[in-house]
Amino acid sequence: MLAASVTTLPLFTALSACAGPNPLAGPPPLSSEVRALLQAVTAEQNLIWVYKRTMASYSGLARDLGPLLAEHQAHLTQLRARVIEPPGKTIPGTVTRKPAVPGTEATALAQLRTAEQAASTEQLRRLAGASPALAQLYASIAASEATHVTALTTLAALAGKNPR
Amino acid sequence: MPAQQPPQSLQALQTALAAEHAAVYGYGVAGAMLTGHDQAKARTDWTAHQEARDTLQAMIVKLGATPVAASPAYKLPFAVHDARSARRLAAALEDGVTQAYLGLVAVTDKTLRAFGALAMQPPANRAADWRGSTVAFPGMRGSRSA
Repeated sequence: MLAASVTTLPLFTALSACAGPNPLAGPPPLSSEVRALLQAVTAEQNLIWVYKRTMASYSGLARDLGPLLAEHQAHLTQLRARVIEPPGKTIPGTVTRKPAVPGTEATALAQLRTAEQAASTEQLRRLAGASPALAQLYASIAASEATHVTALTTLAALAGKNPR
Repeated sequence: MPAQQPPQSLQALQTALAAEHAAVYGYGVAGAMLTGHDQAKARTDWTAHQEARDTLQAMIVKLGATPVAASPAYKLPFAVHDARSARRLAAALEDGVTQAYLGLVAVTDKTLRAFGALAMQPPANRAADWRGSTVAFPGMRGSRSA
């Protein structure tokens, strides 16, 4: 069976191949696979930021959103573990998108749901150019995000019935 | 004329089909222990697995191979004797199917990769529903329900 394990996925994030090292040319360009991995890291950081801001704004949601946030932090850990930092480059550590938290719980949950759906779709776009192990990680994270979409839809329905 | 696929792709498809066969059998056991809303849900999920099984069988035939047959019976991962254990079984079945589709994501064929990645999302969602909680890495070993 071709099933993968979170703990045993090998690292396949090699830099783009060069004909030969040229010490004066500076660091080699990043391969498309590494660029995609770095984008996945940034996207995960952006999602985590939105979750934290939403939970800070609506403390009543913290109990339900906490487990989803923890899963995103686990995604980030696994993605970052697969990045081999090339000379002169560091793993991105900054959040690139900081949307405002909407004014009601229901709309805040809707924003999270939209972000999760977009993130899941984006993971699937990374599959084709990825190594088998990395593709499995992207697909698993995409499936996780798909389950978050469902969980957030349920939460939003409950919030609509019992506005806090 | 059958399309050419590397043996790895065919094997991954057969593994997914075997998981769907097991799910179809397992839901028959689980459904017998459930009532009301849960039983209706099990029936819907059972139908979804039958449809997925038929899809995989057609894909394998298109490749010129013989689809793996269902076993007459399957060894359940644990004893199922009440509604609680039936729900656990349903979650375990969905985890198994999710893991099998994740195997398809490791093949080199981009179309099959995309198929596997999309196909694992419904069982991942159903597993979360039966379990009552999500997991960080659906399909990966270590993310399965007990």
